[in-house]
Amino acid sequence: MTPAWKRRLSFTRMGRWYTGLTIAIGLAATNTGNNLLFLVLGLLLASIIVSGILSEQSLREVRVERRLPAVAIAGQPALIGLLARNGKARAPSFSLEVREARGDVPGRGFLIVLPARQAAEVAYRFVPERRGVHRFAQIEVATRAPFGLFEKSRPVDAPAELVVFPRQVPPPATAPRALAREGESPEDRIGLGLEVHSLRDHRPGEDARSIHWRSSARAGRLIGVDREQERRKQVCVVLDQRRLSGEPLERAVEVAAALVSRELDAGAEVSLALAGEFLGGGSGEAQRHAALRMLALVQPGTLELPPPRPDPKAAVLEVRG
Amino acid sequence: MVRGATLLQAQRWAGTLTATFAFIACAVSGELGPVTMTLFPVGLVGSVLLARRVEGRAQWAWTAMLAAVLVILLMGVIAGHLDIVLAAAEFAVLLCIHRLWHRRTERDELLLLLLSLLLLCAGAALAAELSYGFAFLGFAVSGTWAMALTHLRFAIEAGRGPSGSAALLHSRRVATPALLGGLAALSLLGLAGAALVFFTFPRVSIGGLRRSARPGPVAGLGDKVDLARGGTIADDPRVALRVRLDPPPPGGVRDLGMHWRARSLSRWTGHGWSAADGTVLPAARLPPRPAIGKTGTLVAADVEVVGTFADGIVFTPEGWPLSVSFRRPGSPRMPAQRLYRNPAGDLFYQPVDGNDLRYLVMADAGSPDLTILRGRGQRYPSWVAADLEVPAALDPRVRALAERLGGGKDPAEAAAAIERWLTESLRYTRDLPGPVPDPVASFLFDRRAGHCELFSSAMVLMLRSLGVPARNVTGYFGGRSTDAGYYAVRAGDAHSWVEAYFPEVGFVPFDPTPPSGRGGVQEGAWAKAVLLWDALQQRWRAFIVDYDLIAQAQAMRRVGQLLSETGRRLAGKGGGADRLRAMVETTLVLLLAGALFLAVRRFRGRHRPGRTPVLTPDQRRALRLWRAARSRLRRGGIGIRTNGTARELAREVPALEEVAAAYARVRWGGERLSASEARKLLRRLDGRLDPVAPDARP
Repeated sequence: MTPAWKRRLSFTRMGRWYTGLTIAIGLAATNTGNNLLFLVLGLLLASIIVSGILSEQSLREVRVERRLPAVAIAGQPALIGLLARNGKARAPSFSLEVREARGDVPGRGFLIVLPARQAAEVAYRFVPERRGVHRFAQIEVATRAPFGLFEKSRPVDAPAELVVFPRQVPPPATAPRALAREGESPEDRIGLGLEVHSLRDHRPGEDARSIHWRSSARAGRLIGVDREQERRKQVCVVLDQRRLSGEPLERAVEVAAALVSRELDAGAEVSLALAGEFLGGGSGEAQRHAALRMLALVQPGTLELPPPRPDPKAAVLEVRG
Repeated sequence: MVRGATLLQAQRWAGTLTATFAFIACAVSGELGPVTMTLFPVGLVGSVLLARRVEGRAQWAWTAMLAAVLVILLMGVIAGHLDIVLAAAEFAVLLCIHRLWHRRTERDELLLLLLSLLLLCAGAALAAELSYGFAFLGFAVSGTWAMALTHLRFAIEAGRGPSGSAALLHSRRVATPALLGGLAALSLLGLAGAALVFFTFPRVSIGGLRRSARPGPVAGLGDKVDLARGGTIADDPRVALRVRLDPPPPGGVRDLGMHWRARSLSRWTGHGWSAADGTVLPAARLPPRPAIGKTGTLVAADVEVVGTFADGIVFTPEGWPLSVSFRRPGSPRMPAQRLYRNPAGDLFYQPVDGNDLRYLVMADAGSPDLTILRGRGQRYPSWVAADLEVPAALDPRVRALAERLGGGKDPAEAAAAIERWLTESLRYTRDLPGPVPDPVASFLFDRRAGHCELFSSAMVLMLRSLGVPARNVTGYFGGRSTDAGYYAVRAGDAHSWVEAYFPEVGFVPFDPTPPSGRGGVQEGAWAKAVLLWDALQQRWRAFIVDYDLIAQAQAMRRVGQLLSETGRRLAGKGGGADRLRAMVETTLVLLLAGALFLAVRRFRGRHRPGRTPVLTPDQRRALRLWRAARSRLRRGGIGIRTNGTARELAREVPALEEVAAAYARVRWGGERLSASEARKLLRRLDGRLDPVAPDARP
């Protein structure tokens, strides 16, 4: 854990020149005994001290936190927010740079001024190059205020992880048989589908939409209709990563992700079978998130892993490397 | 409406101002050549008007020009025509001009500031005047602006990119007067720190590259007097001498009525006076005063002659000069000046270097009165023959007047009578007679008014016509006290008077000019300003320029004495010591209690879970509004839970909707809420609750 008092100090280009000149003027003043040079030296040294005090004042009691996006996809820009809060009662903080440090992701934001007792968020654009886990370690709050001579920074521990989903690619054109696009298949039981299962007397209090008006007209009384339960198409995307690594593995993962997304968009219940892992069938955004996360974390496999076990009830979409 | 500057404009102007102050710091030394002195202002104005059109163009021409100038300056230095510091300063001025014309990148701006700093240092080596101090102050303030705004500008550009930063850089809401004022206050903090560093930094000097003094004598009081000049005597308020007397004049008088003798002029030229011929010889010791039966008071006059008026003459106070010492107290170095004396007793020094000169004159201030001067006879030594010469063309009326006033009297009585008659019968005027054939006769018989030189000339000629050796003496009369602890004798105080010779006594001064006409007038605002400036300059010199290891040790000793005196008084007995002790103890206890209170509050604030942050007045008002609203609901019999947010409670009690929304806006959204708005909201809530509306209940 990084202690709160820890600071990093580095020279800026101007700071290097300024310090060099201060030393040179100090030597010249000592050499010549010229009091006006001592006066200039005093001003330069005092500016360095004032700069140190003010930069510390700017960094003090500034708390930062990171706001990660819900979804990040390889190759697509994502915004990562850095929230800074000035906890000082009266003094504002000037010229703050809030930036990532020691993690996988470089990023920074700049705040001209952060008034006392207020918070401000800066966001930086992050385009992940690869899928998988991206780790964040620290956030550094740095300032070069007031003169830009030195950069003083305070590291704050803020460990976090962001799972980046596989890159979005167009799904491959699948053969009709393999695709097995059958639409929703009716089941012989009452449900909420579209097809009529049976007619019966209307029950008082029942939704008016369940009345079969034509039969009611014929019978002279209200006739209700029961509809058939429809079952969604079930698809299982299969990826055997045991013999894949490098670029072929990445391409296979991207294709699998594209298939999962396409089938979910088409309303299917999608399951995902990988070597050693299985995600049961489901639909909706939660299922998409779970499937893409699983694909994002796929590592080059070994033959020791058990082969993928597709859902036997589902149409299989196998991705080959 | 006054529109402020954009951040970009403010930053550029601050840089320009910094360079200008740095240039002024160099220019006040008066050593920069006329080309450089002209080039910088022209280049500065040109850069403001035209730089944007020229930026980045014809770089090769600039480079070639700078290289050529560098070569010329180097050749000047190698040939010994040019001082290396001066050459460096002149080249830095040129580089500054170049940078002012090319300011596109952060590097350009930073280079401009660094060059300005170099110029300031060059100025420190070239000038020691108070004007440098003012330029330094200007540099400190504008430099703070420039550094902070430059940092801000390029931090914004780096943080937001060129397109994202454009709006902010051109916004007039960044470089506000408040920001500039804050930065100026920051520069004052820097100056305070500079003062602290300046006074405490050990003055251990190696002295390897000390710059030699400026050469070149400057004219001061001349060795001739021309009485036939025309016009009006100008009242010149410039300070010529700074004198400190030991013992000081009793009662701390504001105007010092003292003659400061420069030299005597014995030879009549027909329309004025010139110095008599004579060899000037080194004077290791000055002749002692003849014993006249009365010893005067010993006076030590610490005289500082301003460089412009230092032309080799030693000014002495009234009385008989006994010794002149050029050695500075506390200084280990031997003075370069040596004392010389001519047969007339005038004192000189060599070499004349044009710098200010300080020396100490010990004098016997006693002046022989008439009782001592009477009866000395008229047997004069041969060396006063020149002071007895009567011009052949002397107007007979002058001789007749002298005879009427002093004929047949003792020389001392005659001198006193002539002095009295001139003072009482003739009028002083600053208007000069112009080219008249006999200025003295014209003064005595036609105009009957004149300036000090005519009064003294008339008296000298009348005394000589009576056979009394006399000569015209020039110097200054007066001295105005200043806040800096010295008397300032100004150029306008130049004066002329008479010395008459008495056997066994020597030359004795007489001043026939009416007292109102002696010295200058110098009462106007300009004269006061000049005096104030000189006093400031002396303080600057005393506390800054001449601050050395000895002064530092003395200052430290004084601080030590102050502390030990305070300690002694604290440890002592008696009413004063007890009071002081009680005061110090009370102050310490109060300070400790205050510090303890702050520390406890801070500690508790840090360790209190979910501590309530300090609220703004509007937020406090919103909180009071919210509590009042809940209280009204309770009084109206509407029970509400205590663990809900304002919005949740408002959903349960619709009448609370408006108050809850206002509370949320102010408490969390940073909006304002006036007291009248809060009252209105409460009144409307009361209206909804009374009579108890059924729909108001949950």
